Amino acid sequence: MKLKVWGARGSIPAPGPETMIYGGNTSCIEVTLSDDSKLILDAGTGIRQLGMAMTAADQPVNILLTHLHMDHIQGFMFFGPVFSPESEITVWGPASPEASLRDRIARYISAPLAPVEVRELPSLLTFHEADALEWNIGPARVRAQAVNHRGPTLGYRIEDNGTVLTYIPDHEPGLGAPLASVEDEWISGFDLARDATLLVHDCQYTDTEYQNHLGWGHCPVSDALDFVRRTNPERVLLFHHDPLHSDDFLDGLGNDASTRWQELGGAADEILMAKERLELDLDQLPAPQAVGAAAGNGQRPRSRA
Amino acid sequence: MSAQRPLELILSRNLLSSLSTPGLLVGEGGKLLFFNEAAGAFLGRSFEDATGLDADQWTAEFGPLNPSGDPIPYEDIPATEALRQRVPFHGQFAINASGQHRPIEVTAIPIVAPDESTAAMVLFWPTDGKPIHAHPAHLADHLDDNGGTV
Ligand SMILES: [Zn+2]
Ligand SMILES: [Zn+2]
Repeated sequence: MKLKVWGARGSIPAPGPETMIYGGNTSCIEVTLSDDSKLILDAGTGIRQLGMAMTAADQPVNILLTHLHMDHIQGFMFFGPVFSPESEITVWGPASPEASLRDRIARYISAPLAPVEVRELPSLLTFHEADALEWNIGPARVRAQAVNHRGPTLGYRIEDNGTVLTYIPDHEPGLGAPLASVEDEWISGFDLARDATLLVHDCQYTDTEYQNHLGWGHCPVSDALDFVRRTNPERVLLFHHDPLHSDDFLDGLGNDASTRWQELGGAADEILMAKERLELDLDQLPAPQAVGAAAGNGQRPRSRA
Repeated sequence: MSAQRPLELILSRNLLSSLSTPGLLVGEGGKLLFFNEAAGAFLGRSFEDATGLDADQWTAEFGPLNPSGDPIPYEDIPATEALRQRVPFHGQFAINASGQHRPIEVTAIPIVAPDESTAAMVLFWPTDGKPIHAHPAHLADHLDDNGGTV
């Protein structure tokens, strides 16, 4: 399984000279499965350039939406394949008691916010609500589960040939109860992330910033690391960067996360920062470096605290 | 996969743990999944002591009680059937709390998970005007925090 990041930003696109390294596009990840078929995780503005890079060989297209906040759907209307009659696109996303997935997406792709309506898009478009479901896409087994954010939001666990990718870009698992105080079964997203090969996870805020963003649906560094510690993935890609965070700031945040992870006994290269156009082959990840000196026992920082 | 609780229950627990009103979560078959500190203070039991009590265990200990003071079996509690039908419930009971019979009011809300399992969030409070005393375990925490003096 391979992954390519086309947008790692949260909330709103943040283009500009100060975000050239991590990128300004919002959430979108391309996943290439073992049979070379593609999955797309979220349709933030990053999906526009992904669409430009896709060919007829990439059909049919499956897009897994975690939720319908703008930073996860804004690129959909600029995703080239939706305008091609040859395209067969299936969109998966969370259910809501209020309206169908198609109708909720159509609020954005309709007047006055858009010059086209969903029904006018020439591709063959299908919408599926994916709450608490497991299903197959090509060689992959996909599992969707509701996670703690604002409004109906899913995380995804994608398993292909023994490799597991978990994607939870918008997540506040520590809201209301510190993660250290609850058992595994009471942690949002736990089953999705457990023992994954790679966990792509929210890390929008520093711990200081989080004090003013409690309940906004996102993680501070300490909760992201706690969640990793509890769920034990092999690698973590910290994702959904705050639009206010420049490249320099994110370098600092990444170093801080990595240092704290080593102090907990982890290896520095287990914690990665998502950058636009980053590519990872999940089946070829190098073995982690030696674990940090602080723990001194060679154990990864897996703890129930 | 472990039996991770549905998000609806996780959020309910996190909400209850932040409330000063006594509250608890009851799962399938009446199993006691969680109660908050205020409930612990009122009932005279910390959640750590009472984790995972079955319906007949907690009804035997706390009630609710019939007019002659005996526990009402879980299946006969009016709230049980209402919640099974996924309808909220409000009513009055007597219960056993910290060794005393206390009148309470109860509001219970069904929590239906995507897998169709049904649980309930139950809020309750005494109606006799007597205060809820702090649970000894919480008092001990408080003493530790303050170097032994309250
Ligand atoms: Zn987002
Ligand atoms: Zn969001």
